[in-house]
Parts: sequence; C-alpha cells; structure tokens
Amino acid sequence: MSKKTGEHDCACGKGLTRRGFLSTAGATTAMVAVGGRVNVNVAQAAATEITSEEMAKVTLEINGRPQRLLVEPRWTLLFVLRDRLGLTGTKVGCERGECGACTVLIDDRPQYACMTLAVEAAGRKITTLEGLMEGEQLGPTQEAFLEEDAFQCGYCTPGQIMAAEGLLRANPAPTAEEIATGMSGNLCRCGAYTHIFNAVKTAAEKNRS
Amino acid sequence: MLPGFNYTRPDTLKKAVKELKSGEDVLLHAGGTDLLGCLHDGVFPASKLVSVSALEALQGKKKLADGGLKIGALTTIRSVATDADIRNRYAALAQAAAEVASPQLREQGTLGGNLCQKPRCWYYRGQFPCLRKGGRKCFAFKGQNQFHCILGGSACYIVHPSDTAPALIALGADLQVTGPRGDRSLPVAELHVPPNEDPRRETFLEAGEIITAIKLPKPPAGLKSSYRKVRARQSWDFAVAGVALALVMDAGNIRHGRIVLSGAAPIPWRSEQAEKVLQGRPLNADTAAEAATAGMADARPLEHNEYKIALFKGLIEEELMNLAEN
Amino acid sequence: MADDQKDLYYTKDLPVPETPPAGKEPAPWEKTNVIGKRKPRVDGYERVSGTAVYPSDVTLPRMLYGAVLRCPHPHAKVRKVDISAAEKLPGVRTVLTNDDPAARVKWRWAKGHEVLLFDPHCRFEGEAVAAVAADTPQQASDALHAIQVDYEILPFVVDERKALESGAAKVHSGGNQVKKDSYSRGDVAAGFAEASAVREREFRTEAELHTPLELHGCVANWDGDSLSIWESTQGVYAVQSKVAKTLGLPLSKVRVIGHYLGGGFGSKLEPGKYTVIAALLAKQVARPVKLFLSREETFLCVGNRPPANMKIKVGAKRDGTLTALEFVASGTGGAYPAGGTAILDWLVRDLYTCANVRCETTDIFINGGPARPFRAPGHPQCSWALEQIMDELAEELGMDPVELRLKNIPKVSQGRGGIPYTTTGLEECIRQGAEAFNWQQARQAAQQANQSGSHLKRGVGMGSCVWFVGGGGPPSTVIVKLFADGSVNLNMGASDIGTGTKTVMAMIVAEELGVKPEMIQIENADTGTTQYATPSGGSKTVPTEAPTVRLAAVEVKRQLLQMAAEELGVPVENLRFEGATIAAQGDADKSVKVTALEQLNKRGVAVGVGHRGPNPEKKSVNPFAAQFCEVEVNTKTGEIKVLRFVGTNESGRVMDRLTFDNQVFGGITMGIGLGMTEFRQFDTGQTGKLVNKNWHDYKLPTALDVPLQMTSLPIEMPDPEANNAGAKGLGEPVTIPTAGAIANAVYHATGVRITSSPLNPLQVMRSLTENRREEG
Repeated sequence: MSKKTGEHDCACGKGLTRRGFLSTAGATTAMVAVGGRVNVNVAQAAATEITSEEMAKVTLEINGRPQRLLVEPRWTLLFVLRDRLGLTGTKVGCERGECGACTVLIDDRPQYACMTLAVEAAGRKITTLEGLMEGEQLGPTQEAFLEEDAFQCGYCTPGQIMAAEGLLRANPAPTAEEIATGMSGNLCRCGAYTHIFNAVKTAAEKNRS
Repeated sequence: MLPGFNYTRPDTLKKAVKELKSGEDVLLHAGGTDLLGCLHDGVFPASKLVSVSALEALQGKKKLADGGLKIGALTTIRSVATDADIRNRYAALAQAAAEVASPQLREQGTLGGNLCQKPRCWYYRGQFPCLRKGGRKCFAFKGQNQFHCILGGSACYIVHPSDTAPALIALGADLQVTGPRGDRSLPVAELHVPPNEDPRRETFLEAGEIITAIKLPKPPAGLKSSYRKVRARQSWDFAVAGVALALVMDAGNIRHGRIVLSGAAPIPWRSEQAEKVLQGRPLNADTAAEAATAGMADARPLEHNEYKIALFKGLIEEELMNLAEN
Repeated sequence: MADDQKDLYYTKDLPVPETPPAGKEPAPWEKTNVIGKRKPRVDGYERVSGTAVYPSDVTLPRMLYGAVLRCPHPHAKVRKVDISAAEKLPGVRTVLTNDDPAARVKWRWAKGHEVLLFDPHCRFEGEAVAAVAADTPQQASDALHAIQVDYEILPFVVDERKALESGAAKVHSGGNQVKKDSYSRGDVAAGFAEASAVREREFRTEAELHTPLELHGCVANWDGDSLSIWESTQGVYAVQSKVAKTLGLPLSKVRVIGHYLGGGFGSKLEPGKYTVIAALLAKQVARPVKLFLSREETFLCVGNRPPANMKIKVGAKRDGTLTALEFVASGTGGAYPAGGTAILDWLVRDLYTCANVRCETTDIFINGGPARPFRAPGHPQCSWALEQIMDELAEELGMDPVELRLKNIPKVSQGRGGIPYTTTGLEECIRQGAEAFNWQQARQAAQQANQSGSHLKRGVGMGSCVWFVGGGGPPSTVIVKLFADGSVNLNMGASDIGTGTKTVMAMIVAEELGVKPEMIQIENADTGTTQYATPSGGSKTVPTEAPTVRLAAVEVKRQLLQMAAEELGVPVENLRFEGATIAAQGDADKSVKVTALEQLNKRGVAVGVGHRGPNPEKKSVNPFAAQFCEVEVNTKTGEIKVLRFVGTNESGRVMDRLTFDNQVFGGITMGIGLGMTEFRQFDTGQTGKLVNKNWHDYKLPTALDVPLQMTSLPIEMPDPEANNAGAKGLGEPVTIPTAGAIANAVYHATGVRITSSPLNPLQVMRSLTENRREEG
C-alpha cells in the first residue's frame, strides 16, 4: 500500500515525491564483483527487497559518468535515460523489444533499454547515442550515417547507430550479410535499410583508417 | 507500461529458491526479455521479481570430463550461438540460438529463459480470458488459428515458441534443477507440459525450482545436427514451422536419429514416426519424403492452419537432404 | 563587419541563375551548382547526434503524463465509468470522463458524424472512454487499469465482405454501406466483345497499418488562454485548425509546433482525439501534459490502409491493345466515413490506354478503427490486381509482360477526360527499367533454371504506375530573409516528414543566391512563427514548396538589384546579380558587393515573400514509376527470397539524388511489407477484437527482408510547365507497383497465381498445395 509522505511537486530534490527512502537501517551497499561486473548499490545484506512503493538507490554508469538515481523497481533503463536524465537521443518505439528504437550499448553489446530494468543495469557500462559524440563532433559511425543519408525521418536512427556501433565493436570488418543480420533488430518504417547498410560499411572503413 | 512489483536480487541460490517458493506471483527475472513483455501485456500478475543475475552458479560454460558440455542457465543466447565448441559439436543448438529473436534480444535473453518462456499465442498475450490464464475457453480453437498447432493440441492449441528446446531435445540434453527439495536432473524432453495434462502450466518445474544448467552429452561418433526455421520475416519472428535434426550416421545409413519440431505442437514435438522410418536406412530423397509424410500422419489441422502439413513435409524433407549433403 | 570575413558564397564568379524582372517566372535551371547533386541533409547532424528534439522528446517543467482509456470492444455502449479508485492512486492528478462537462466537446469524424470526445457509443475497439494525467507514465497506466467501466456489448461486424449481408450487425442505424461510386467511359460490353483475349480474376489485399516509429501524440501547454502544442504531425496548420475549431478558440490562440516527426505516411495529416484530450487535461491541471499513445494503441485508432476486395476484368486485341477494363471493388474505412475506397480505381481509369472502362467501388462500414490516407491511397491495392491481370493477359496473348505495357502507354490523363500530361515518363520508366534490370535475359534464365528439377524456383515480375496527383499546388507562402552579412533565413510552414524537404529547399535558396547551404537557417512547421503550408503528404511538398521557395529567393534578388540600381545609378535592367556581387553588364567598374549595399545594411535584412502560383491549366502534372524484381521461391516451404529490385521513377527534376534514391528504396521496402508480411487480423467470428496489435504479430519488413541488391534509376525529364523548379512528387509512386511486381515474379517462378496478400509462407503453401491438388 502506498505511503503518503506529503505532496511535493517541485523539483527541488527534497522529499522526492511521495515515496520513502529504502529503509535499510545499517545496510551497506555491497560492492561485489560478479563475473566481471561490479554489483553496486542494490542493497544486498540487510534489506533484501525493495517494495514497489519504495525507490532503489542505483548508480548507473552512463557514457563514462556515474549517475546516482532513485528508481522504482519497475522503471526501465529507457525511462530513466529519457525522462530522468534528459538523454532523449535514445527513442521509444514500442516498449516491448520489438523495434530497436531504444538500442543502447550495455558493456559494448547492443540491447534494448526498454526491456532492461534500471535496477538490473547497475554496475554495467551503458553507452547511449550521446556517448558516441566527441564533444560537439560526431563520432565516425554517426558521420557515416550522415554521409550515406542513412535515415529519413530519423527516429529509428539513434537505435540503428547504436546497433551499428555494437556490431562494429564486436566485428570490425563485417560482410554484407553480417551487416544485414547485425541490423536486423532495428525496424525502419521509412525503409532506409539500403542506405543504412552503406553507412555501416562506410563506418567500418572509417574505423579502419 | 509495467505494473508495480517488489524486487530482490539474492546473492545465493538457496535464497533465490526460498523467495520463488514464497508465492505464485513471485517470478524469476533472468534476462527479462519474456517476463517484462508478459507483465507489460498483463498476462499474469507479479508481486515480486527475483533477479538471478547475481548468481555465479548459473553462469559459464564448462566442458565435462565425459566429453559433454555444461551450459549455465544464465548463458546468453548470443553466447550459445557464437561459441566455437557448440557450433562445432552441437550445431543444431548453435543454429537454433542464432535465429532466436533479434541480435539485441540474443544479447540479453538466456538459455534457461528461452526454455521457460511463455507461449506467444495472440489470445494468450492479448486481452482475452483464455483457458491457459484461468478462463473458460481456448479462443484459438475456433478462432484465428493460422499460427497454432497441428499436433498435440487438446484444450489448448498453442505452439511452443522455443527454438533452443527442440535442438536440445534432439541432442539429448538434460537440465540441472535446484529447488526446495534439493537438486535433480530432468531431460529437456520432459520439461514441457502437454496441455492434455495441464493446459495452465508450461513446465514441470515445481514452485521454487530454478534451472541452473543445461547438460549436453558427448556427441556420438557420426552425429550430424541442424536447426531450420521457417517464418514470415527473417528476424524476430517465432517459427511458423521449425525442425531440429540430430542424426547419427554410419556409412551413409542413419543408425538412429531425432527429429524435433517447433511451431507444430504445444510442446517441442518428437516426431517418432518420422524417426522410425529413417532408422537403419540410407538418407536419400525417398526416405526423406517418407519420413516427412510419416511425421505428419497424425496431424490434425485447425480451420486456418492446414497449410502447415504441407509446410512441415517440405521442411523436414528439405532439411534432411541438406544434412545429408553437408 | 568585413565582408570577406565570412566566406558565405561558393566561390567568386560561379554563375547564379538570372533574375527575371517582376511578374515573370524564373526560367528552368540549366546547369546547376547544387540542385541535382548528392547532398547530405542539412539537418543530418541533429538527427544523428540525438540533438533533434522530436515532439515525444519535449519535456517542460512540471509536466505530467497523460494516457487514454480505450474501449476494448468493437462495438459497445458505456453505461457507467467509475473513477473513484483511479483518482486515489499515487501521482494521479486528474481523471476526465464524459461525466465532466469540460470533456463534452464535439469531435467530428466526418461530415454528418459528430460524436463526443468520450462518446458513450463506441463503434470500434480503441475509442476513447476516459483519460488521466499523472506524475509518471507508469502511474498514468496504473490509473487506467483502475478505472471501472460497465459496457453494454453490442453486436459487431469486422469483415466488410459480410457487412452488407442481411442480418449483419449495424455499425450505424442507416446501414453499413457508406457509398457507392461509379465511373465509366466508352462501352465495356462492346470492348470485351471485340477482344481476342479476356481475363478476369478476384484479388484481395489486407488492411495495412501505418505504425511509424514515433508514436502518435503531443505535449500540450496553456499560457493563460493560449494553447501550445508540440505534436508529431505532418501538418501543423491542420492540427491548429482542427483543435481551434473543436475547442472554439481563435487560431491565434493555438500554436502548433512540429519541427521533427518520426514518420507519418499519412497517419499524421490530422490531429487525433488525443490532441484535444491532452489540451483538456493540461487545462484541468494547469500544467503541461505529455500524451503519447502506446504502441498497441497505434494499431487500433490512428488510421489504416483499407483492405480491398477487387474483381478485375481486362480484354485486348491480339496485338495487345487493350479494349476493355472493368473493375468492381469494395473496401472499408472502418466505423466512420474515412475513404474506404478512396482513389481505389484510379490506376484502372488512368494508367494504361483503354477506351472502354467501367469501375464501381463500394465503401462499407465495419466496427474497426477509421482509416487515414496511407502512402498512395488506393493505388498499391489496385496495382496488386491490375498488374497481375495484365500479366495474365500477356501470357494468354503470348506477349512479354513489358511489351504489353509498352503497347498501352497513354499520353494524356484518361481519367481526367483526356487532358494532356505536362510530361509523362511512363514509357521510359518501363523501357529503361527493363534494360537496367536485364529483363529479357533474366526472364529466360529463370525459366531455364526452373527446368533443373530443384524445388527452388526463380521468377521475375514487374509493374508500373502513375500517382493520382503529385504536382502540388497552392496555397503556400515562403519567406526568404537575407541578413546584412549575406547569410540567409528560410521560413516555411511545411513539415519535413523524412523526405529531406528542408535540404531540398535549402538547395534551392543556395542555387538562386549563391549562398552555401550551411549558411541557411531554416525555420519550419510552427504555426506561430512560420508561413502557411498544407500538410506534407500526397507527394506534393516538393512541387508545392520548391517553386515557392524559388520565388521568395528571386524576390530577394530583385530587391537587392533595386538597391544596387539606386546606389550605382544604373538601370535595374543593366544589372546582374552574381551571388556575392551585383555588377553592371559590360562595365566592371560599376559593381557592388551585396554585403556592402547601404540600404541592406541600414534595413538589416532583405525579405522576399513567395506565394505558390497556380498549376498549368488544362494539363495534368503526375509522376510515373516502374519496378522490376527477381525472386526465389522455395516450393517446399513457401519462403520467398526477394533477390533484387530495380525502381525507375520519373518525377521531373531530381532535386537531391541522395534523398531521391533513399525514397525509392524506402518505397520498395514498404511495398514488400504490403506484399509479403503485413496484415491486420481481427478475431472475426468471436470477439471482433484486433489480435495482432504489436510489432511481432503485425509484421514490418526487417533488414533481413529486403534484397541487398536494389537499384534506383531516375528518369529525368525536364518539365518547365509543371512549376519553376520542374519537380514532381516522389514519395508515393515509389511504393505503388512493388507488391504487384512481387506477385508477378512469384507466378513466373511457380506457375501459381496468388491473389491474396500477403505472400507469406502460409499463403504460398496454401496456394501451392491447392494447385498440386488441382493438377491431381
């Protein structure tokens, strides 16, 4: 049942809406290395559970920077990126893992942010489209997409670029078939696939030179 | 949007088992790619998610002393698809994994999760109070059943959505399971519940039980295996029809083989009639056709899926011949 | 400031087009500097960097999230709505239902069909019943689930093929026929009588759902009595006018901003109920409200391409000359009049020469979501039938399919009573496309390969088309503003829906003024600050806006010439605008740098306004296309692999070759969807609900479903009459002949004609099995 801790609808950071903090007296955030990933901040020892009315303290490493947040267990990484961190480069298309618009890199691997709970993303390296920029300069994959006109409305484009980036990080010299397969988790209703394939090829060449 | 739920991430298997036993709507979160979709669609309620992502015991692949292979349940589908040993010795499994969903979902989805995933019937997933969800009727039986089963249907007419399950069954894999009553082993072929036994349950796992690993036996000499999937689109789509083959060849004859179908029945379907036809015989166009026909002998189509009979015949024939030639 | 400080111009002495005197249209461009080249988009940086703010990215301080509760039944009356539990949930700020007087605005579906916003009579699954605004979208969703509604479920009909039978459930009290349209010319009976070959067949295409990547929706915000809306829309002025009318507001109190949108394809040419709902929610809570539909909702209630049930009959002489065409078809636009058979028979009326034509189309109501125009309404459906029956005819006559088309190329628009086209590239599209495709050789090679006994069969197929409009037209207003340093601001109302509109328009300004495209600042799609434009759709944006932009740029040049004339003391007729400078003909001493013009510097700007003039009278401006494809059919499994596609397009002048080709490939991809993977499926006979309302079950082509080999071959034909840019529309002809071409290729491969879309393994296996049965 919800606990009303008082209406508070400014963004001053105090009180933080109507939810209480995770009440874990004495709980330390355990730093546990599990299979190479550091599991931080999701309380391990004392309180083993975060209820649906509470907020979990998580630190998400996004584009190389740690972001400390309070999240509901049900909040997806996608929601946190766009609606809490203002990183609207990642787009929302379906919220069910069926379009790829929300593709981000998690530990350099392309995944759907809409199917990833924020609490599950703690301790992993998350890269969004914004993370491919070099200051205000486009990264090579982004440049390749621009040069090859690999988009029309541009909405699926961030996801396409991230999928391409993930593909090339794992396979720097993909064949035409490998490119099509690597991009097969990203819908483009405008049908820019042909130019997208060209862009991935060009991006691979840019990376090599 | 997801409904609210509690969340816990236990650091030991024992704690995870205890949590999962505590309630019917306390659910296991592995990759989450199927679970979150079900919760988004309101297929069933979840009061608490128990994440197993901190459990090292479910990770890793290990070659066994007897020459087999143990694959942790949390191994990602992509990892299964690209593993050199699996591609080499258990080709059907690698091929099945390579065609699951989409690249991003393969990075996130796990082998254990793929076996335990919920059906994809559009009535089950939609706002229809169907039998499997505790309602009173199966909407597919007299409804839009073009994607539903032609074998094994009874009360419920889903097709099993997993690609890896038929491959694992063809390869004779077992599951390692841990639960409130300790550890046990279970052939993958005995995991899934036929609807005539209970149309409301997908697996024979008891409350609180967790698959920890999948064990593959050492491949017998002369083993050839493959998985082929027919679907409307070449990505994301579940099988309209699929076949896993594992044939033990002996100088051109088939010593024995397993033919397991996806997209045909509510559970991965061992096509024993087809297997019998091939036993001890050479593999050629005639035996392949004979086996395919035998495999469909008991098919009972619904109003809109009779095409599946010809499709499976063609698919089984073609894939048997592909395996023969490679 | 020093005027060589900023190198705003290409280089010195590069010729810019001549400036015509006032009242005279500029001459067609001949050799161009920018236009026709492969130019990456001027807003490409924003799109690939993630800095482009799409309407669904807009976040305002104190913003809430809205959500709509929708009727889960195809036909029902709302008896009671209980919001008591919903209101108490955490984060819920307001719940609106029909019980709230503020929510009882009238919503006009069509003429004579006005309902309430939350009308208790719900005629399709997805009709709005209530709405909430909450702190987070998850809380809004929780609130929807907590609203209790008592529905009286009514009989429904969701199959238009059954809706006119006696005893069918009634969508409206007046019966289920929306209307019947007829057309005829000549005497079809006589035409069939004189034919040496007659073919007749029934065809069906399934309903198609737009589902662009960006969800439908908006952010609504009130400042006092002024409403601002950021909407994912193809036409900000269309949203403005409907919202203003619905809410009874002056246009000046409604501002709609739509700088970017993530796709529309016709489903965003108008606002939705959600726009008005968002505005009302925002007013209720006195905070901005973001209301974007969920993906599932976009399958239900924001439009579709109607299904089409078509019977087509064609007759021809021995030499292939068509003598008669008859087309009887039905379709449905859902529960309200929404163009269920819009332009469905146009290709029969207009594409191939035929003196005797009869068409009859019947539009029928069903309890389904109302249709919205979908990229080339009516045309891909008709093409599916027409191109296949033409191929059947060719086979009977022993003619090559391409030769049959070439035998029947009209020079005039037959459907318009025979007025001439300004230009028609139909013949060249077919001829050159066939050549580029290697049609004859590929056809023979496929036939030969199919003798080998393999179960993999090859085939080739083609189709051609004209698009109903594509010449654009008034109204449109554009302003080009030259700053004193020579850089430029371009102000236009048109949305860039992904076709590259902004880039094309920037290229025009660049061409006329000699300014680098990067120096052009573009403002678009904002009813508060940009000029008027009709929604971007119908392949009319380039032919409408391009000449208007050109006129505005030309007007700027005229003003500069006037200024220079006064400052140099030279008559205007003797001056020439050369980009960076203005010089007197034959007197090199009398010249002035544009940025040095005294008047320009005093005023700060030179402003040119362009208004779109009328189209040529008594002529028709239309684009044409032809497509050729090769497929491989696995006759054991019904799988079809599309191996390659060639698309030829005659759209007048190619403006930007890069975006042009992208449109061609995109159109083919969408056509592959209609032809091979997409279908809307109702639970006909049980609940009438939509069973495939997600992107797994409603199947869009993926990267693995398009051929790696795709070729775009523009057929560039100068069209000085169409407009001063010589450009025609492109966005729709690119997707018209695709599905029919694939079906023809499948027939060529297998000898089996599949008349119902989509050509997925289900359909192919059904047809192959039936064919095997018939052959015994």
